[in-house]
Amino acid sequence: MLSLTINDRTIEAEEGETILSAARRAGIEIPTLCAVKGLPPTGACRICVVEVAGFGGLVPSCSYPVAAGMKVQTHSPRALEARKTIVELLLADHPDDCLYCARNNACELQTLAQGLGIRQRRYRGTSLPIRLDVSSPGIIRDQAKCVLCGRCVAVCTQVVVNDVLEFGNRGAKAKIVCDADRPMGLSTCVQCGACVEACPVGALVFKEQMNCMPDGRMQTTRVTCPYCGVGCQIDMHHKDGKWIYSTATAANAEKQPNQGLLCVKGRFGLDFQNHEERLTTPMIRKDGALVAASWDEALDFAATRLGEVKAAHGPDAIGFLSSAKVTNEENFAMMRLARGVIGTNNLDHCARL
Amino acid sequence: MTPELQERIEQIASRYPSRRSALLPALHLVQRESNGYVDGAQLAAVAELIGVPVSEAFGVQSYYTMFERRPVGKFHLQVDTNIPAMLAGAEEIVAQLERSLDIRVGETTPDGLFTLSTVECLASCGTCPVIQVNDGYYESMTPQRTDALIASLRRGVLPDLPVQANFGSVCNVLLKRRGTPNATSLAVYRQTGGYRALPIALAKKPAEIVAEVKASNIRGRGGAGFPAGVKWSFLAKNTGKPTYLICNADEGEPGTFKDRQIMEYDPHLLIEGMTIAGYAIGANLGFIYIRGEFAWIAAILEKAIAEARQAGMLGRDILGRGFDYDLVVHVGAGAYVCGEETALIESLEGKRGNPRLKPPFPAVVGLYGCPTIVNNVETLASVPFIVEHGAAAFMHIGTANNFGPKIFGISGHVRRPGTYEYPLGTPLATLLDAAGGVDGRLKAVIVGGLSVPILTAAEAEGLIMDYDSCLKSGTMLGSGGIMVMNESTSIPRVALRAIRFYAHESCGQCTPCRQGSHTVATLLDKVVAGRGTLADLDLVVRLCRTIKGTTLCPTGEAFATPIEAMVTKFRDEFAALVR
Repeated sequence: MLSLTINDRTIEAEEGETILSAARRAGIEIPTLCAVKGLPPTGACRICVVEVAGFGGLVPSCSYPVAAGMKVQTHSPRALEARKTIVELLLADHPDDCLYCARNNACELQTLAQGLGIRQRRYRGTSLPIRLDVSSPGIIRDQAKCVLCGRCVAVCTQVVVNDVLEFGNRGAKAKIVCDADRPMGLSTCVQCGACVEACPVGALVFKEQMNCMPDGRMQTTRVTCPYCGVGCQIDMHHKDGKWIYSTATAANAEKQPNQGLLCVKGRFGLDFQNHEERLTTPMIRKDGALVAASWDEALDFAATRLGEVKAAHGPDAIGFLSSAKVTNEENFAMMRLARGVIGTNNLDHCARL
Repeated sequence: MTPELQERIEQIASRYPSRRSALLPALHLVQRESNGYVDGAQLAAVAELIGVPVSEAFGVQSYYTMFERRPVGKFHLQVDTNIPAMLAGAEEIVAQLERSLDIRVGETTPDGLFTLSTVECLASCGTCPVIQVNDGYYESMTPQRTDALIASLRRGVLPDLPVQANFGSVCNVLLKRRGTPNATSLAVYRQTGGYRALPIALAKKPAEIVAEVKASNIRGRGGAGFPAGVKWSFLAKNTGKPTYLICNADEGEPGTFKDRQIMEYDPHLLIEGMTIAGYAIGANLGFIYIRGEFAWIAAILEKAIAEARQAGMLGRDILGRGFDYDLVVHVGAGAYVCGEETALIESLEGKRGNPRLKPPFPAVVGLYGCPTIVNNVETLASVPFIVEHGAAAFMHIGTANNFGPKIFGISGHVRRPGTYEYPLGTPLATLLDAAGGVDGRLKAVIVGGLSVPILTAAEAEGLIMDYDSCLKSGTMLGSGGIMVMNESTSIPRVALRAIRFYAHESCGQCTPCRQGSHTVATLLDKVVAGRGTLADLDLVVRLCRTIKGTTLCPTGEAFATPIEAMVTKFRDEFAALVR
């Protein structure tokens, strides 16, 4: 352990820890744009620059290690001016269409600009003529909004390890490319959507998001993915009873089995929720026709009939088919029902979906 | 890809400790073998052979300006239009080529014979204007020589147009053999005193060599002026990993054309210096990272290395002293930023030339994660003198804290632009006299390559050319590339050309450099075109001041410092252009 001062407060930090990490632990917030939790810093956006006594230039807090006796100012006039200028430079080339953007009110660039008190455009760049990439089934890319923070590249290459996204060109012409600059839908992208979740702005959004502005009617429900047995935790975003899009559960992500990731099925495969033929209540066949019933009614009916069959023909006259669409816990409960309650080993499972 | 081509790429890959390093050479090779460009299918084949994802191969290909993705003409004419070239009339040459080929810059003639491009500094500042045609340079181009060149190329012949380059030396250390016929051969190098330092060095302990170089106080000649011996002593010890030496021969700072004088005319001097340095720091492999445009100089180095190897000066058990050491020439592909040592290392590893975060420094974590020393050509070429004659003899040249000889490249409005070797601490006036004096009346001078603050004629009065004096006078010695501007020069146009260079060369990794250089270029473009306001000038200055010290590598300072100096020192001239 060593001690340093941040904003005149003495703070204990670990050897090798970054200034940002030490500051955050002490409750001092330094904004960042390019940092991805759990991945090595790239130092690219420079939003997190701070002033360190004795250093000529500003220091990127995300990557610079603490040292004993270091004196850091995170919000000095010079650091703030640099931070503000950097955000202004990002805005110089950024389209003025927040109102129509799927990330409106959920945009990190917007939040940064607001926080730094940017109220007008001092710099104007020459925006690149860029078309939307709508070639892929689930993701829309709008490079005009890209701030080149590199978060999408980092997750694609270091977390998902699909190696699809990469920086192409250089300087002001730099852009994010799929494979050798292919449209996303024609590239080797598998549409896991991790890049969309990583994107701080509206450069990468889910197609469904485009049709639905985040507003008061938007709700989020946490569910367990109904596909394979990993048990990924999904935040389903829905509105008026309709599923809109999914993100990996963000709360305590590191403690979830999916650690903030989803595959293409969990990400996009929940649209069956919205299907008009989907069963929404239990049904009981009466006189040859299916009739809607309450859960109590349905469960009573099933228990009675199962009991009758068991009494008349023995437990092995009954078999249970479980599903990979339900959780491991639910499958366990089914097993207990079959073996413990009914007393049969006639139990199977549809393996995988 | 043909099996023969695959075999050649495999051969290249076998020269590197990591296969990935062969990516740039492989792309060069495939491009040369397939009409000057590499298409998507070929790129995918190269990526698969090297073992990198296609996306990364594309990231690399599209990063470097020398890699073409679309067909180019049989002769690709690339005209250097950077400041020294601009001062020598390159724009007229471009206009002449546009007229005579009937195409615009960026276009190819319908017969597929010519493509015309403008490019950044080709390190030919003393012999500007320069046109690069495919892999070769045509220097000191006049309208007549340009016509002769085009006429010959139309006949399908790359002509031999002799060049008279000016040079001079009062120290006879680094330019000792400049002008000696066949000085690139081992025989002539030896006859003229070469390979005397190597046996002396190998008879000593490595630590003694480091101590001697440290004692000489030689400051790195790449531009930063950091003491080379001190840099060597930062090397991480007992890491269990190999140590590498890299010679930075990416000479790309506009106004700088000194390193090529050594490599082109005295390659064994560099090889001897690198062998001694490699021995001193405990390396068994050294790399010469040379800029891609210097392809023919790379060939000169390759030939000299082969000769040295044959003579037992490189390879196994050098001079029977039990020291194994070899050199690999690695050719870049057009990226100014790769002159920054961590970007150079990335590039040598076969990646985009993006500078790394520091710390850690290369001496601790460098090439392939191993301890690495990166030194400039001129620094390494000074090592044989220090070893042969001793630190004291080296310190006999120059001034206190600024010892040794230095090659100054003088370009722009002087009568005999060229390279001149003088002791550090020589007055600027002496150097300008050596270069034949200012052509016209001196208006301004940039003394250390484009990235240092410009000096007005009054400020340049009495300037002493060494690291400390230049700093005291409000500028920097940098690489010693002196660009002289007479009264006819428009500083706003120089500033615009300068910022366009940096905007073109910014790696794009960090926001202030990528967006800042682009935004300053947009503002200055407005001003020079007469559409700007005084507020725009204030914004330029304000931006430059804020950008300094916020970027990931020194490129931010490299453009913010000179642009700020030009706008503030010549504000009236800028103000005269605004609305």
